[in-house]
Amino acid sequence: MKRRIEQFLFRQFRAIETQRHELNYLFWECTTRCNLNCLHCGSDCAKDSAHQDMPLDDFLRALDTIKHPSTNLMVVLTGGEPLLRKDIEQCGREIKKRGMRWGMVSNGYLYDEQKHSALLNAGLGALTISLDGLEASHNWLRRNPKSFARADVAIGLAANAPRLNFDVVTCVNRRNIDELTAIKNHLIAKHVKAWRLFTIIPIGRAKNNPELFLTDSQFQQLMDFIAETRKQGDIDVKFSCEGYVGDYEKRVRDTPFFCRAGINIGSVLIDGSISACPNVDRSFAQGNIYHDNLDNVWHTQFQLFRDRSWTKRGKCANCKEYKQCQGNGFHYWHGDKQQVLVCHNERLKIS
Amino acid sequence: MKFNWTKKLLGGLCLSSVAFVFQACYGTPQDFGEELFVQGKVTDKTTGLPIKGIKVSVVDRMQYLYTNEEGDFAFYTMRADSTVVRFEDVDSIENGSYASKEIVLPGSLHVVDLTIDLDELK
Repeated sequence: MKRRIEQFLFRQFRAIETQRHELNYLFWECTTRCNLNCLHCGSDCAKDSAHQDMPLDDFLRALDTIKHPSTNLMVVLTGGEPLLRKDIEQCGREIKKRGMRWGMVSNGYLYDEQKHSALLNAGLGALTISLDGLEASHNWLRRNPKSFARADVAIGLAANAPRLNFDVVTCVNRRNIDELTAIKNHLIAKHVKAWRLFTIIPIGRAKNNPELFLTDSQFQQLMDFIAETRKQGDIDVKFSCEGYVGDYEKRVRDTPFFCRAGINIGSVLIDGSISACPNVDRSFAQGNIYHDNLDNVWHTQFQLFRDRSWTKRGKCANCKEYKQCQGNGFHYWHGDKQQVLVCHNERLKIS
Repeated sequence: MKFNWTKKLLGGLCLSSVAFVFQACYGTPQDFGEELFVQGKVTDKTTGLPIKGIKVSVVDRMQYLYTNEEGDFAFYTMRADSTVVRFEDVDSIENGSYASKEIVLPGSLHVVDLTIDLDELK
């Protein structure tokens, strides 16, 4: 009974949030160049990208169309690897001048003491760095023998900067699933306070590499690890908001699953496309900053994101938990969009 | 009527939730915005001329920068009960040699505009 009431209240909360659809979080895919060539990259990023970096002025023109930015609007620079941009600090300062906050997702390879200081000076307030295992498994996934050492330096710097709201993310796969306790201990020793765990989406470069995907029982092992670690309370660990996990919901996250793509989260992609999270299928683009007004697009488009009833198809059509889940993470709808790519809850039931 | 109350309560929760809980799955956590913006100019106490290359650092934090040709500097840092900012001449005798200075910024401020004059060492 208590659970049903909680679920009802949460659905009301989600409906109100959807109706308000305030833009609180804007990704900027500022480059698709990358200094690594990771096995699991959903964007197929590489050293030489087909796209030029988006000029800062182009992005700022789009940003300036937002007539009434929310007080906590957060612009998150992503890529590719944002630190490959030589003007990254200037990007941050221009965002700050507009009264907005900014953060960055990085592989940490270029994040040294000097860069750390320069980014803090430019008002960096939030940072996420990837660490995908202990040294061997991280370097395997990142396909670079120095990538663990470099990311580890970055983590040490960021974790000890009180100004930063910082977390580490780990893409859990078959090579690192049995290292989770060792990774946790490593992060705690480095004073990391927050750690988010993901699974890998079968898109981009990842889709043809089975070693990247957990078996159903390993996925349950991941849920159990998170639930147990949260009980211990040594580090704020959580499962990412990538999907609905049924009975594990309250045990692996602070809040129930709520995919906010297109509801509170927008993005400006490398070619100027306006969409939600960068990993959402590019065919969902709602406009383009080079011929549309970002603010108008946010307020007048995005219907498919705010009314998810179209996802009640395929295995979702007769699912008893659809009301809670609403078709899982939006980024799991790719291609012809007739079937959700992954149902986390189903995997847990099978295991 | 009862439903309206529920709606209002949930609406209030929505406002706070976005500020404190919400995090995009492949993005960063929220920035809570507890920061101080510090800007200013460093000049020679005797001549009033700007000094370039002075190292401006936040004590006990790994954060520093150097004044530009006009002696100007600007940076964000965490707002704390007191923030100590140090000004040091680190380029030896190039464009003069100056005594270091430290100032304490109170935690109540969000923006600070400073004019720092340094004594030239004879």
